[in-house]
Amino acid sequence: MAERMQICNLSENNFEQCTKCSICTTVCPVAAVTTDYPGPKQAGPDGERYRMKDPAYFDKTLKLCLNCKRCEVACPSGVHIADIIQQARMRATEGHRASLRDTLLANTDLLGTVANLVAPVANATLGLSPTKLVMDSVMAIDKHRTFPAYSRQKFTTWFKRHAAQGQDAYAHHVSYFHGCYVNYNFPKLGQDLVKLMNAMGYCVHLLDKEQCCGVALIANGLYKQARRQGRTNIDSIRKSVTRDNRVVLTTSSSCTFNMRDEYPVMLDIDNADVKDSITLATRFIYRLVDEGKVKLIFKQDYKRRMAYHTACHMQRMGWQLYSILLMRMIPGLDLVELEQECCGISGTYGFKKENYERSQAIGSALFKSIEEARVEAVATDCETCKWQIEMSTGLPVENPISVLADALDVEATMKANGVVVSF
Amino acid sequence: MRMDTVIMGGGLSGLTCGIALAKRGQRVAIVASGQSTLLFNGGSMELLGNIDGQAVTVPLEAIATLPQDHPYSKIGASRIGQLAQEAQSLLADAGIEMDGNADRNHWRITPMGVAKPAWLTLNDHVRIDDLSQLPAKRVALMCIRGYFDQPNAMLAQGLRGLGFEVEMKEFTTDDITALRRSPSEMRATSLAKHLVSNSALQRVADQLNSLAGDVDMVLMPSVLGQNDTTDIHNLQALVKKPLYLVATLPPAVAGMRMQAQLRHYFRMLGGTYLMGDSAVSGTIDGERVTSISTAKLTDMPLRADHYVLATGSFVSRGLVADYERVYEPVLGVDVNADADRERWTRFGVLEPQAYCRYGVATDDQLRCLKQGKVIENLHAIGSVLSGHDAVKMGDGTGVSLLTALAVAHSIKGDK
Repeated sequence: MAERMQICNLSENNFEQCTKCSICTTVCPVAAVTTDYPGPKQAGPDGERYRMKDPAYFDKTLKLCLNCKRCEVACPSGVHIADIIQQARMRATEGHRASLRDTLLANTDLLGTVANLVAPVANATLGLSPTKLVMDSVMAIDKHRTFPAYSRQKFTTWFKRHAAQGQDAYAHHVSYFHGCYVNYNFPKLGQDLVKLMNAMGYCVHLLDKEQCCGVALIANGLYKQARRQGRTNIDSIRKSVTRDNRVVLTTSSSCTFNMRDEYPVMLDIDNADVKDSITLATRFIYRLVDEGKVKLIFKQDYKRRMAYHTACHMQRMGWQLYSILLMRMIPGLDLVELEQECCGISGTYGFKKENYERSQAIGSALFKSIEEARVEAVATDCETCKWQIEMSTGLPVENPISVLADALDVEATMKANGVVVSF
Repeated sequence: MRMDTVIMGGGLSGLTCGIALAKRGQRVAIVASGQSTLLFNGGSMELLGNIDGQAVTVPLEAIATLPQDHPYSKIGASRIGQLAQEAQSLLADAGIEMDGNADRNHWRITPMGVAKPAWLTLNDHVRIDDLSQLPAKRVALMCIRGYFDQPNAMLAQGLRGLGFEVEMKEFTTDDITALRRSPSEMRATSLAKHLVSNSALQRVADQLNSLAGDVDMVLMPSVLGQNDTTDIHNLQALVKKPLYLVATLPPAVAGMRMQAQLRHYFRMLGGTYLMGDSAVSGTIDGERVTSISTAKLTDMPLRADHYVLATGSFVSRGLVADYERVYEPVLGVDVNADADRERWTRFGVLEPQAYCRYGVATDDQLRCLKQGKVIENLHAIGSVLSGHDAVKMGDGTGVSLLTALAVAHSIKGDK
């Protein structure tokens, strides 16, 4: 009997395992706020049965999918529902030309390079009402959005000028994939990581060559460019891991998820040999502490009440635990763990005029729970969640690495880890 | 990572055990792969519903007659009453208000209109204490236009068969009509997300009030209250006649809410809930489990003094059947299942099926066995256990709740 039956899955996304239980539909943030979207079960495995017969069954409402992966987290049968949807989208749109707006939004590094050069002008202009109105009407970038402020000095420039030469002073070595946000918008996060790692006796190095991870390129259909940049990144990461024996740390959950999990699925980039060496810094640090290899000593007078928001991709990786447990080590920090809800921004999705209202409706449950938590600030591992929560709640949002760095007693930590600077 | 107890499985049994231990000050981690089958629950718990096809009236008496391999017999029939009370108050502490008691079953109404014996039912859902004394004579059954997860004609027929005079009324509101644009998403859980504002509830109440007529009770499908019961209470206050909810086909709003409430309560008690992760393997050294590895934490195994297997039955993949055998996939512990595949099932989907009783083998303290040897610090609870049949005996939720509490007591060393 067995010879005549299909014993293994033929698909790579567990398509065959769907039992039609509909549990995925209960967690979809998009279907919860709009009837335009058919929901993950219909858009994913159910629709896929038709698309396998004839690709013409592709439904253009699939572009409403945020790719938040909450359906996959909820699925009791391990079906990669969002992958099915995203791959269908890719098959249907590969080769189409992206609009100017989408190309601009997707090229976070290009936009960043230009904006850094003229940061004061860019920050002032992008924030002005006339500019916003032009962007809103001509470019269809929603007028409620403010582009994150651009830094005058890139992180890499700061690193080369102020940190690089000191990075042979310690016993251990890691590489850092900083991502566009740290490089162009918020170098402080990268500086915080260097401060933290150095205090633990770890030198931080940049990769040979780093490009934007491409998460926004994939979301906006620029697959070819994403594949090219992805290959460059994985080549550099591979050199760091195999040539230099350095793990690659990150501080953005979305870049991390993209490079580890989306590269092979969406871009056909084989990262199997280095995947385990790409890791969020919080995971790396937590494990060092857990294994007793390093100690973190925090300031006595630090006192703060914060909420932790689990970004959707963070939950998909299942790594929120590391950030939460690390922050719980700070004696003066009163940390509230929020129920996992999507904030609605999903990278560039919420910047688009046609998505603005939906984006805010999706996030409303999260914003309400933040308000009810009565905290001074919010921590999260994703920069686009940060923009969304800051805009929607008015509270400051920080990466857990910055929270740790601020609370750290650097001298005591260096002493506790026997760190002696040898230069 | 070091914990006092690691629980594999985040459904009803895993959460109940986790809450009971966290309440007693333990550091507990629950590894939950996806949402659980609690989302299929329409708002009732069963202790023991049937024996040999006969409805059970006094579950505590009937439990004393169960065979030795039933999980209740392993806990000890004399402890069931006490544990049942404990379960009811644990649920109430989590915000799940249910009526009923273990001394006498009441009747719940299934989405198909069948009355089935139950132990506890949410206090805003319809239930019948005594079939010869119905809680109402004339009822208005409110049917939502375009909502397919409620077989209204069957439900009405079932209610009439029980002796109710049923008037079927169809209603809709602007909010509900808007949802019909996406008919495949017109589910109980979607309705619950859209019927939350005071104005949306008022529009529903206006419809119910104008259609109800001269009846003793208004029934409507359980499509309210995704996070808590506020929306239900608000609507009950706006409707002039007594309003009760009827269970819908799954996924059920009541089950979704109970799952969220238990998870929230567990987190409030300091528990660690690893959502969307799953236990994939473990190491056993002699008679003890020494660590569990999960899909997401990969090279950082979870270590604890005690481990609890609460991974559920076949549908949750706590048990797996391939072409050769039935097995437990995480630790490969012994299962009670027929070796001969021909005996797993029999013709007739509604007949009692042997596979429904399959599950892991345990000693009389619900500890798992491997190759016949007891693993001292690994307990099994809930649907993964062998010797009971949730479908035919109506004992699934009761076994989940009571084995979870019994194991929590033995982990804490209670007598």
